[in-house]
Amino acid sequence: MLVASSSENTLIHRLDVRSKMLGFLVIIILSFLFQNPIYQLAIISATAFLALAINIPLRKITGLIIPLLPIVISIILITGFSYSPQHFDHLSNRKILFYLFPGKHLGATVGGFLMGTTFLLRIWSLLIASSILTFTTSLEDFTQFFQWIKVPAEVSMILTTALRFIPTLDKKRSLILEAQMARGMNLHGKGIIGSIRSYIPIMIPLFINSIIMANSLSMAMLNRGYGLSRVWTVKLDKAIAARDFWALTVIIFLSFLCLFLRFKLRLGLL
Amino acid sequence: MVIKTTARDRINDENDKAIELNNVSYQYPNSLEPSLRGLNLSLNKGQFIVLMGAAGAGKTTLSLCLNGLIPQLFEGELTGEVKVAGRNVRKTPVQLMSTILGLVLQDPETQILGRTVEEDTAFGPRNISVPLEEIQDRVDRSLEKVRLKGYNQRLTEELSGGEKQRLAIAGVLAMEPEILVLDEPTSELDPAGRLEIYATLDDLRRKRALTILLAEHSSEEVINRADEIIVLNQGQLVWRGEPTQLFRDIPLLQQYGIKPLPVSLVGWNLYEKGWIAIDEIPLDLPSAARLLKKLLSSPTQSANAVMHFPLQPKQHDRKDHQFPEEKAIEIKDLFYQYQSGNPILQGINLTIDSGDFVALIGQNGAGKTTLAKHLNGLLKPTSGEVCVHGMSTQKYDTAHLARTIGYVFQNPDHQIFSTTVEKEIEYGLKNTGLTTAEIKEQLNQVLKETGLEDYRHVHPFTLGKGERQMIAVASILVLKPRILIVDEPTTGADYSGVQAMMRLINQLHQGGTTIIMVSHDMDLVAQYAQRVIVLKEGSVLLDGHPREVFAQEKILADASIIPPQLCRLSACLSDVGFSETLLHPEEFTALFERGDITKCW
Repeated sequence: MLVASSSENTLIHRLDVRSKMLGFLVIIILSFLFQNPIYQLAIISATAFLALAINIPLRKITGLIIPLLPIVISIILITGFSYSPQHFDHLSNRKILFYLFPGKHLGATVGGFLMGTTFLLRIWSLLIASSILTFTTSLEDFTQFFQWIKVPAEVSMILTTALRFIPTLDKKRSLILEAQMARGMNLHGKGIIGSIRSYIPIMIPLFINSIIMANSLSMAMLNRGYGLSRVWTVKLDKAIAARDFWALTVIIFLSFLCLFLRFKLRLGLL
Repeated sequence: MVIKTTARDRINDENDKAIELNNVSYQYPNSLEPSLRGLNLSLNKGQFIVLMGAAGAGKTTLSLCLNGLIPQLFEGELTGEVKVAGRNVRKTPVQLMSTILGLVLQDPETQILGRTVEEDTAFGPRNISVPLEEIQDRVDRSLEKVRLKGYNQRLTEELSGGEKQRLAIAGVLAMEPEILVLDEPTSELDPAGRLEIYATLDDLRRKRALTILLAEHSSEEVINRADEIIVLNQGQLVWRGEPTQLFRDIPLLQQYGIKPLPVSLVGWNLYEKGWIAIDEIPLDLPSAARLLKKLLSSPTQSANAVMHFPLQPKQHDRKDHQFPEEKAIEIKDLFYQYQSGNPILQGINLTIDSGDFVALIGQNGAGKTTLAKHLNGLLKPTSGEVCVHGMSTQKYDTAHLARTIGYVFQNPDHQIFSTTVEKEIEYGLKNTGLTTAEIKEQLNQVLKETGLEDYRHVHPFTLGKGERQMIAVASILVLKPRILIVDEPTTGADYSGVQAMMRLINQLHQGGTTIIMVSHDMDLVAQYAQRVIVLKEGSVLLDGHPREVFAQEKILADASIIPPQLCRLSACLSDVGFSETLLHPEEFTALFERGDITKCW
């Protein structure tokens, strides 16, 4: 959920928001279905193909993951040590590479590191999938969708407003980064803790600016009558088109295929 | 019978009132001082009222009281009575008040809620359940009023600053209020954006009997628009009357931190000499030109004058020779383009000497900030080279260059993250590897220079914007850079804040620091810069002394730049044979004393 919607008019742009939300949900489920990083790579490839087809700046999405790398590496290390061999089906994944402490305490398993890699790839595929969704769907469509699934108006507004302000916050992040770099900020602190600490001068102003923005936003919304009543004028619903039926067919077919692979053939496990 | 008439009169009188405040005081939570103190105010319908005063005078607080955001959203202690169009604001929900009084805030970014222009304008009417057909009608009418007709499907994020603020006004107008309150709507905009907003306000006044209350710092724009000006100072109403009265009273303006008009300063000097009466002090360019020509036609006046105001040594002609031959910055064939291929800088060649005070000017999108960001390595050239004191920015990263070239950004809140002013300022030093003793020494020196000594243990966010901007400057100065880039250092600041900031920058310049200032404020550029570089579409359009550059009115118009008022006044005197471009009010007075112009007559 990191890229603002564009006014282009690709097939995915024209799909009904319900079809897109179902597709998004399926990608989330599939990414959690498979533990094996190879399968995660397949999901990433599929989402990246869709992203390229609609001209999403993939480099930007990848760039967003870089600041998260220290955290991701920490996760891979933690999972490497925290998963015991019994967690894994395959013998090769149960293999203990080394022990952190003498006396065979806290062993690092192959499966544990692979699981950590899966976590990283899962974040990546979800970033791309959510970017496809926000890139191709207007706020009005989101609002209508939330109303359709009977989400309370307040929750719907919170969600759509959060989506609307992602690009604004991203601009703030760039400005903060530049301001701190101009006074000699070094993003490459020593060790994992050092790396995380070096981001504090970015995270705190971003957090403060978000609060200031949220305050201004609440004023602007009240100024425009938001919350006077629980109902508001709804625009006419869009109808499901033939392209949506085709898209739904593909989504359902892929879902069943993946369920078959995972539960019948027991593929994608570690 | 008498009683009946009085009652009807009272009702009519009440119906004519747009806003009434009775003994209103307000104090924000955790604040030591009240922001409004016993305010009594009554405004009639259909007027254009301008609210002026220094930062912290209470202008924003008053605006927030008028539609009920205070006390309904903001906690704190409100006493007294606020009535808008006869309604007690305390008892009417803000959302309902929005159909009576529309409030436009400073920052357009946080007032836009829709993805497209139409979606955003329709947001308000949809909230109050206006039928769909009427919403479309209201959207079209509101967009037309703010000169955004036909923009319906445009993405809001693609709009310019001025367009965004006009959209914010359209969003408020779609609620069809009787009163429009605008809280410094142009403070974040460039000159083109400001012109757009004022043209919109002029249209609104012409087309509809709307009561407008505008909080504003800028004097030049309000002088011919306001029916009345109200001056607030420390939460109190200290002056109310016609704009002409206020802007002729220079000591009063200075007392309340309001920027005088440059031409009035010329007039005030002449008034102080006894050459003109107070009501002859000019308030606009034509009247100033007429006055000067009239005075010139009376040679006895200047012949008898005593020289009290010798022509000041021209600041621009002073040159610091601390680094006589050294080049601070050398830019060779600089090209820069975005990844999309859109060219931003197109073949810039510049050399800036050590100790210069250079102003980069140009309309938004001309490439000023992009060029400035190349100087400290935040951006790397697509082709060409930028050298800072001999260091190529291609070879050194920004962290390394930061010790030679400092960059002060527009918004101090983008960098503040520490719990005290002291810690905030010393952050940059900690990245340099200095010892604790050296850090303390440099910190103390900068705190003294910037006047922040008293705040060293205070949390930065408890201070006003002016002080926070000073912290941002201090956090760069502590690195002792030889070159300082200041990007719009005075945006949103009041007159006294601008003066304080420019005093500091000028002091640094006097000490030998090379200053590169990116600014839209032509008065400041004329007052302080030694050299002006005008950018247009990524190329250098003009480069020279402010007197030379601001004399090129036609070329500047091509770059959407309006020269300072005094330069335009100089140009107005060309038909009497005067060819120099003057930048300071004192220079005009001195001319009469020297008798320069009278020789032409």
